Amino acid sequence: MAPVALAASLHEDLPKYRIVTRYEPAAQPGMPGPYSGQVVRVHSEKSIDEQSEKVDVPTIREMISQGMRMLTGDSDARDSWARFFNSADVVGIKVNCSGAPGIMSTPEVVGEIVRNLGVVGLKPNQIWIYERFQNQVNTVHYDRYVPAGVHIWTAEHDRGSIAGYDPNTYVDVNFFGEEDTRSNIARVVTEHLTKIINVPNMKDHGAAGVTGCLKNIAYGSFSNVARSHSGIKTNTYSFVGTLASVEPVRSRTVLGVMDGLRGVWHGGPFSPSRRFRFYPKQMMFGTDPVAMDRLLLDVIDGKRKAEHATSVWDRSMAHIKAGPEYDQNPSIDRYIREPGHIEYAGTLGLGVYDLEKIQVRKIEL
Amino acid sequence: MKPTFLLAALLPGLYWDQGAKTVEAVKQAGVERVLVPAGQESAWKAAGIDAHVFHAAKFVKLPSPGVERRMNEAAATSMPWVDANGWRLERDGSHQYYYDVPWRRSALAAAEAYVYGIDAVVHTEPRDLAPFGKMLAFLKSIDQPAMPIMANIAIIDDGSDDTGEVLNLLSRRNLLYQVVTAPDPQYDLNVQIGSQEFPKEEALDPFGFATLVRQKLTDDKRYLRIYGSDVVLGKLNGDGRRLRVHLINYGGGKVDGLRVRVLGGYQHGKLAAFGIANPALADYAQVDGGTEFTIPEMAEYAVVDLEK
Repeated sequence: MAPVALAASLHEDLPKYRIVTRYEPAAQPGMPGPYSGQVVRVHSEKSIDEQSEKVDVPTIREMISQGMRMLTGDSDARDSWARFFNSADVVGIKVNCSGAPGIMSTPEVVGEIVRNLGVVGLKPNQIWIYERFQNQVNTVHYDRYVPAGVHIWTAEHDRGSIAGYDPNTYVDVNFFGEEDTRSNIARVVTEHLTKIINVPNMKDHGAAGVTGCLKNIAYGSFSNVARSHSGIKTNTYSFVGTLASVEPVRSRTVLGVMDGLRGVWHGGPFSPSRRFRFYPKQMMFGTDPVAMDRLLLDVIDGKRKAEHATSVWDRSMAHIKAGPEYDQNPSIDRYIREPGHIEYAGTLGLGVYDLEKIQVRKIEL
Repeated sequence: MKPTFLLAALLPGLYWDQGAKTVEAVKQAGVERVLVPAGQESAWKAAGIDAHVFHAAKFVKLPSPGVERRMNEAAATSMPWVDANGWRLERDGSHQYYYDVPWRRSALAAAEAYVYGIDAVVHTEPRDLAPFGKMLAFLKSIDQPAMPIMANIAIIDDGSDDTGEVLNLLSRRNLLYQVVTAPDPQYDLNVQIGSQEFPKEEALDPFGFATLVRQKLTDDKRYLRIYGSDVVLGKLNGDGRRLRVHLINYGGGKVDGLRVRVLGGYQHGKLAAFGIANPALADYAQVDGGTEFTIPEMAEYAVVDLEK
């Protein structure tokens, strides 16, 4: 079945979502933002060494500088960053550490983003690197790559704790009869941040098909989201976009920097072994998470095809198998994947899904 | 049972088989109601404790409360299986009960017995004596005349094992019910297994049956919702103006953040939490016809007293 037709059929039986928030949308929400339907892709063979996984920091700096300048059309990267942030902002950097320490928002990339925020006048204590799980972040040591004073914040010091989430901003939905039907937003988003930079990786995802901008900002900013999967069924199709559209996440997420230095083509979002890691050696820049994730779909699916793995679009029950074999065999799926979640997010106004309407500008370094 | 036992009927007793040489430890723990093996009572009395003989045949033994962690492979998440006795005691709490619990469960057992108002004794090992005594002191500090039980659902009990398992599942989902002998219109929902609305074959799948009951009741009508934990079970007592929310944590560790919603507007709320210094409710709000608050931290047992 073609992806578009598939999504249409799934639309008919969506869970009933109740969004509770006291935040109004901004005049121009951050997603899809001023560069709707536009993506800048920067590739450099020098960005990471595949054997040692060592990152070349000067190359990273240049990739970010050129990517931001091409996105905004400015000749000076400072002007590009100043279009998004000023000295009055408190900026969150939503990293992704679910695959750490094998793959995560690369600390050198995060360090360079922090440096650029400093250039436009933000002090270290106006910057919050955030993620949900403390144990994952602990393995990355972002503190070694950013100035003292930058906050490194997690919602759950202990897994399952709701203390780090805002009790008044949530999505209420009953997927499978679970008792706790709320997914609350991380307190840091509502209580501290004025803007968010979304820094996902390029990863396969056993439930969502891929995990990029949308899933990182959605499942990575809300509590109690794993409940959306049960048996072979996952509700990522509609839940990812629904969470990403909740205010103030939608308005405050103003920039996406997709870190594709490393990638995961099977077993994501985790990366327990090198076997399924690969090295796209690229970064994408934009404000439209749907457009960026649409490109990501082809990166991951292309790699899976090259490796003779099942397509992220495959819905055959013949490939579904419970148990640990999934972690070793890329022809086995754990859930019926829902890569249509990206198109669905487009229908919520979060961005442009149609490839023919997405303008991709490429830089080769 | 002597009248002094009846006066303290709501506080559980201790079945203690460590001999009268441990009298100081028992006194230090503050335990007032002690049962001992036959032949030891005179030694205890000589040591200053009015102990009585424990006759096992007079007691109904209850399973040790707690949780079992069972891996749900399909969802790749750990789904705790709560072992709680509330459903048994809602069904029939008229006996004398006996808990024989391992280390770190005596305080939980005492809290459960108190919440369900049963006459119970707890047997535990020496290293669990102090926590048991601390729980007794806590229960004394919060004790007050009982108010009527608040429940949405009336279950007409046929006494079968199937119905028992349904009661168990309803309790674990905090679907508040009372066991009745005939339908009662004062409840939001009457459940009679075997009726057209609740066919007997549905009850063969207690999980599915509990889901059916929840759907028919609807979450909007529920007196109690608990968010942030699968291992905390609640019970409500109220008189229309005041509401007491009992929360029992079966998980074995502290719960770090628990959001509670009760139906109805209550202006004031006060938290008492066993083992937690200076407890206070957080993020208190009256919203959408209910009252919500967060319990920042709780151990085995917490009580929230609300007032309109």
